[in-house]
Amino acid sequence: MSIVTLQLGQSGNQIGFEVFDTLFSDSHCSQGLCSKRENEAYQAACKERFFSEEENGVPIARAVLVDMEPKVINQTLSKASQCGRWKYGQRSCFCQKQGSGNNWAYGYSVHGPRHAESIMNLIQKEVEKCDSLSGFFIVMSMAGGTGSGLGAFITRNLQDQYSNSLKMNHIIWPYGTGEVIVQNYNSILTLSHLYRSSDALLVHENDALHKICAKLMNIKQISFRDINQVLAHQLGSVFQPTYSEEGSSHYRRNPLGDLMENLVPHPEFKMLGVRNIPQMSEHSLAYSTFTWAGLLKHLRQMLISNAKMEEGIDWQVRPPLSGAPTLGKMPVNRNLHFNTSLANLVILRGKEVHSADLGGFKDPALYTSWLGPDNAFNMWKTQRAFNKYEKSAALVSNSQFLVKPLDMIVGKAWNMFASKAYIHQYTKFGIEEEDFLDSFTLLEQVVASYRNL
Amino acid sequence: MGRRRRPAGLAGAAGALPEAIAALSRALPAGPSPETFRRAKFDRPEAAPALWRLLFRVLSPPRADGASASRALEAQARWVKAALLAQGYPRLRLAQLPDDGSQGSRELLLALSWLLARKPLLERLLARTRVRLGDELPAFECGALASPGLPAPRLEADGPVDARHLQWLMGKLRFRWRNLMASQQEQCALLGKLLPRLESENARLEAALEWRRRELVFWQWMDTVLGACPTEAPQPACLPGLGGRGRTAGARDPVAWELQALQKELQAAVGARRAAWAARVKGQGPEWSAARQAAQEAAREAVGRELAALRQAWERGGGPQPHGPLRLVRTEAGGPGAPGLRAAEAIGALRSREACLEAALHQLQAQCRQQLARLAGALPGLLWIPPPGR
Repeated sequence: MSIVTLQLGQSGNQIGFEVFDTLFSDSHCSQGLCSKRENEAYQAACKERFFSEEENGVPIARAVLVDMEPKVINQTLSKASQCGRWKYGQRSCFCQKQGSGNNWAYGYSVHGPRHAESIMNLIQKEVEKCDSLSGFFIVMSMAGGTGSGLGAFITRNLQDQYSNSLKMNHIIWPYGTGEVIVQNYNSILTLSHLYRSSDALLVHENDALHKICAKLMNIKQISFRDINQVLAHQLGSVFQPTYSEEGSSHYRRNPLGDLMENLVPHPEFKMLGVRNIPQMSEHSLAYSTFTWAGLLKHLRQMLISNAKMEEGIDWQVRPPLSGAPTLGKMPVNRNLHFNTSLANLVILRGKEVHSADLGGFKDPALYTSWLGPDNAFNMWKTQRAFNKYEKSAALVSNSQFLVKPLDMIVGKAWNMFASKAYIHQYTKFGIEEEDFLDSFTLLEQVVASYRNL
Repeated sequence: MGRRRRPAGLAGAAGALPEAIAALSRALPAGPSPETFRRAKFDRPEAAPALWRLLFRVLSPPRADGASASRALEAQARWVKAALLAQGYPRLRLAQLPDDGSQGSRELLLALSWLLARKPLLERLLARTRVRLGDELPAFECGALASPGLPAPRLEADGPVDARHLQWLMGKLRFRWRNLMASQQEQCALLGKLLPRLESENARLEAALEWRRRELVFWQWMDTVLGACPTEAPQPACLPGLGGRGRTAGARDPVAWELQALQKELQAAVGARRAAWAARVKGQGPEWSAARQAAQEAAREAVGRELAALRQAWERGGGPQPHGPLRLVRTEAGGPGAPGLRAAEAIGALRSREACLEAALHQLQAQCRQQLARLAGALPGLLWIPPPGR
């Protein structure tokens, strides 16, 4: 089954390119550590999901590119066709000549309605090329102007027009000390709208990715390209093919569907975070070996202590003492730094993957009282190595990862809102104060639900 | 057509023969047009290439089609001749046809009829090019059918159920429903792709049925084709490969004489080798030959036992077990048994085979151990360290 990607705005397009590039180079990588037949099956599965075929054999990414100004789209298109191994469709782009000045309301109320029809037509064409549609993957930033406002509008349109298809929004969480004054307003409006019309919100924080580049990859001058490549590696390790069940010999047909069914069935809990281990520069990779036991131990502690990467993990954080958890009562001895999970998905790729022991993730103490590990924990695996990492493990987690950052943004936005700062920019284009209040209410509810896990 | 004398007893309307030929032409893969058949009766050269190609297609092994179909007509003609010879086709005139594929349509027609008459050719061809619907199971995987089903849904513990848990389950159900919709759409799309192929296969199957109904007319017509052939000159007794160079009967003798001499030479060489080997072996010592004899005895016994076991299994299993791909067919539980292998039988057959093989393995291991023990005893000064115990 195929996934149609919608790349929105500057960050959406830059990230989308890196993602497709990573998926393609991994699927054609010769160091898969598996048999030729298996490699071909892996390649075919990846291709069916993300690329369509053209007559001269160059795969075309199943993507629609949208931006209000042409610069980034043109750069993205030329980068793809230059490498010559895959490309974007000729007529899969939509762009205008002017930007939207980081104004969420303008993106949502003006650009959205004006251009929705053309954009939906492009999406429809892409959908028709698929034999079967698994769902949509929408890449956008949360706090920018075009990406966020337009993205929220388009997602709502997708909800109306493709109500049975799955939608996952991939969101870039802005730097805490971002440059855009109104980024917190943009963020809460985006999040609240997406929460209503999307099925899952997969979040990557710029701050975390930046740290990974600095500490793990040892990059001195960190560019957006470096950050996006780390991001693409993490996404690739989630979405590349895996086997469907224990002992199965077929690749999973519907990763998006399986992921959502296991992680976000509850309408109040849609925020997902991604962690990946190991992550290092290609240069160091050649000199490192890992064991599954070591990797999984670190990954588990990253989950529990809400660490963003495998360095600087706080090993003091422990799960709360287990006793029979009683419903409706907060455990007294809860460790305040402990990250409770609602549901987790661990994806293992590489050598001897069958020997990996995931008992640590099935501990009921990691999970909330009303959902046991039988329901809450899932594992996918394949022995085909990913992106030249002999062993790699990814974690997609629906947990309290984002409670603090979300709470912070809501708090800051509320402070600005209380003094009505910059509100006129929004009311000018039809986003009223009630909309803001609705957004605050919804997000406070989300924070409270997650806190009560 | 009107000039042809109709053989007596030709039942049915005047159009029966053209319809029969048309049905045959539709049923054959890449079948030539009915006109080609008619032309072939009169040995028209333009009908020959199509018939060469048809015979090539019919005679070539199942999966050879891709590359071999593009072979030149000459290569195909040579191949057809060799294949027919290998199957015992009696008419040597076919072998004498020129390789360029330009002549001999009547002979080719006779060859095709010969193949059609000898065995269920059409059915075999149809089975070979069947559209696969994904409901097949190779025989050796039958054992994997007995896999545990989905785990039964767990009942939650007593006590108040958290509403959030129910919401979770509801959401899961909704996602599964959406995934099911997507899978069904996928299935529809794939079936849509499959439809044209199924339609053409149906057309061929219908043609084959029609052919079966009407083939009597065709055979009667073939009699006339055979009658139209000029009577064969007495064939010189020579191998077709020599291409009618007209060797006389007396010329065979040098060849046969040469063959006999070669055979005597070979026998002598083999006998000498055997004697030398026996001498060498005898020189090693009595224990070796005794060991060898004992091994031979044991091997003979083992083979005898295996044969007996196979015979028993054969008799028990009620005849030959089918090999190769088997299709999964759902039958009513407790309904009349359909021909073919039942899943339970397949499992039983595999289990008994496993038992036989295990017994054989144990026996061979015992033999090896005895042999080693004997060898160890026979050569003093040799230290024998067996592998860590089983």
